[in-house]
Amino acid sequence: MREGLTLDAVTRRFGDRLALDEVSFEVRPGRVTGFVGANGAGKTTTMRIVMGVLAADSGEVRLDDRPIDRAARRRFGYMPEERGLYPRMRVTDQLVYLGRLHGLDNATARARADALLDALGLAERRTDVLGTLSLGNQQRVQVAAALLHDPVLLVLDEPFSGLDPLAVDLMAGQLRERADAGVPVLFSSHQLELVETLCDDVVIIKAGTVAAAGEALALRRARAGRRMRVVVTPARRDTVPGDPDGSTRPPLLEVELTRLPGVAAVGVDDGAFTVDLAEGADAQGVLATALRYGAVEEFGAIVPTLSEIFREVVR
Amino acid sequence: MIAGRQAPARARAAEPGARHDLHARGTVGVVARREITVKLHDRAFLGSTVFMVVVVVLAVAIPAFIQGQTPRLTVAVRGSAAQQVVGAATTLGADAQKSSSTSVFGVGRLPGAAITTLPVESTAEAERLVRDGTVSAAVIGDDVRTLQVIAAGAVPDALGSLVEAASAQVQVSAAAADAGLTSAQLRAMLNPTPPTTVLLEGTARGPVPPELLVAVFAFLFYLSVLTFGVSIAQSVVEEKQSRVVELLVAAVPVRWLLAGKVIGNTALAVGQIVLLLGVGILGAAVTGRGDAVGQVLAGSGWFLVFFLLGFVLLACLWAVAGSLVSRIEELQATTIVMQVLVMLPFFAALLATAPGIVQTTLSYVPLTAPLLMPERVILGDVAAWEPVVSATLVLVLATLSVALGARLYESSVLHTSSRLTLRQAWRREGA
Repeated sequence: MREGLTLDAVTRRFGDRLALDEVSFEVRPGRVTGFVGANGAGKTTTMRIVMGVLAADSGEVRLDDRPIDRAARRRFGYMPEERGLYPRMRVTDQLVYLGRLHGLDNATARARADALLDALGLAERRTDVLGTLSLGNQQRVQVAAALLHDPVLLVLDEPFSGLDPLAVDLMAGQLRERADAGVPVLFSSHQLELVETLCDDVVIIKAGTVAAAGEALALRRARAGRRMRVVVTPARRDTVPGDPDGSTRPPLLEVELTRLPGVAAVGVDDGAFTVDLAEGADAQGVLATALRYGAVEEFGAIVPTLSEIFREVVR
Repeated sequence: MIAGRQAPARARAAEPGARHDLHARGTVGVVARREITVKLHDRAFLGSTVFMVVVVVLAVAIPAFIQGQTPRLTVAVRGSAAQQVVGAATTLGADAQKSSSTSVFGVGRLPGAAITTLPVESTAEAERLVRDGTVSAAVIGDDVRTLQVIAAGAVPDALGSLVEAASAQVQVSAAAADAGLTSAQLRAMLNPTPPTTVLLEGTARGPVPPELLVAVFAFLFYLSVLTFGVSIAQSVVEEKQSRVVELLVAAVPVRWLLAGKVIGNTALAVGQIVLLLGVGILGAAVTGRGDAVGQVLAGSGWFLVFFLLGFVLLACLWAVAGSLVSRIEELQATTIVMQVLVMLPFFAALLATAPGIVQTTLSYVPLTAPLLMPERVILGDVAAWEPVVSATLVLVLATLSVALGARLYESSVLHTSSRLTLRQAWRREGA
């Protein structure tokens, strides 16, 4: 049995536009999954379909290998892309109301709301009308609304946008805590550094299709080995007329590296060469060429950051 | 508790405080309660309710106050007959104050008045006092047959009637005494027993004109549907505008939200109407017009039934009107149709007061029935089955409007960017 959330070939059209084309991925229990993609790639549509706010044209969303029904969805925690609560309701009343719609009884909803507001640093604002809070604090209340009913799955659309660094840490802590308790957590974000530090798994979506999905580290490693970093200290002087001090030497190595079979691109940055290899090319040729030029002080594969993978995949 | 058995066992065991099963009644109740709580904390709503209660109290109290107000009159008197007549008039006026059915010769009701006499020496002095306003009028004469009443512009109504009645009484008493009648005979002569009226056709008419009752009911319905309708539409738009609706529909089926809104506002509207009717009836009872109470109660039974059905019928449509726009500012554009739908029955009820084919037909048309059928019941020209049939028709249309409202609401409530046409809303299934 597959545990956690499974999307299986979910497809959705808006008129003539194919918004999602057979999107399949998993959000495993106990893991934080980052959901990244350019604007309009289909993140919000996917999340809305998971939450049942939109219907899929075809495909299926399952939780713990069972199709999701109303009763199950009611236990999901959701933070929509378009934030919003009742502006003229008091903070606690609001949370209690939403908790009750999610099936909590009054006393439990009240107790949980108080506890969460404490944890999110809003204890003193609990009787304030929401509209009088700063946008950042309203966002914290929105976080509380998503977590209030102790959800069995968290779906958060851009939960970090608009938060100050302190609130980002609080939010990240909450996500980690929920994941550690065995809840599958799916969140979208454009802050890729944050996704990188926080996520166990990553799903990259491009124009309605999943471009890459899996463990964040594995994704990065799989793309490592195709970009090499080489630092060489020159051993011999090339005598080039008009250039006695040999300042033209590094470009020569660059030219030679570029001519190697399987090398796609070469970059130079302050004496360090970055060599991009084509699929299946041998890195040893690069090393051999570098050795002919001098002492190789560094030679290794660069593990790309998530941002780099993202840019590469989405481009 | 119907759905309770189907709750996932895991959820139950893990969370003693949580009921995660789907429980329509409970959830709709939570939504309805929020609508009510929000309204009860809304100053504008409380203010308008208090205002309406005050209007009802004044409407009941002012006529009672005016009627209950005894004019205080000072009358200048010269001459023995004048003294005797004004004395009798004072007694009659004081009696009329105590009981509303004082009459002489069984004819007419005499007005209450507190009369003070001011004896004067001459007619000239009396005229002077009348002119400078010290007295309301002067009565002058030694012979009851040549009695003169002097006033500046007009003789005050109450005084005129009392003096006339008193003068008649004095003359009749004198004639009776001359004829040697006993005092019992004299009393029988002055206070004869009026005949009893028996009507072969026609309905017993209460003290309140039925047209007035109909107008009051029509106005209450109009006011209530308009204020609560606008409030339902606003509550829908507010959820769209503040985007909270996405969070709501992720947790609760859209039709439950609609049901909660309609039920909450209906409960408040009925509560407000019952409060106003109650204040009015209580006021009528307190001010001694108990006979009107029964009449109003008899009419308000069917009025409440039709009010409830008519309100639900329109409330769902108001919710749809709200869900078609995205911002409060745009609400006017879609609610104008609803305002017409509310005004139509109001004016129909006011204009179609004459029994006839138009009134009978409109009393079966669901939009105008909520007012015209109770109107016909109050006017008393319906068979017992007629309001039942008409109410059933309204109920059928109300049910249809709930279904229609739910569908339109469902497909338009998530559309938060611009205005939707009805056709778009109908087609946008789940989009």
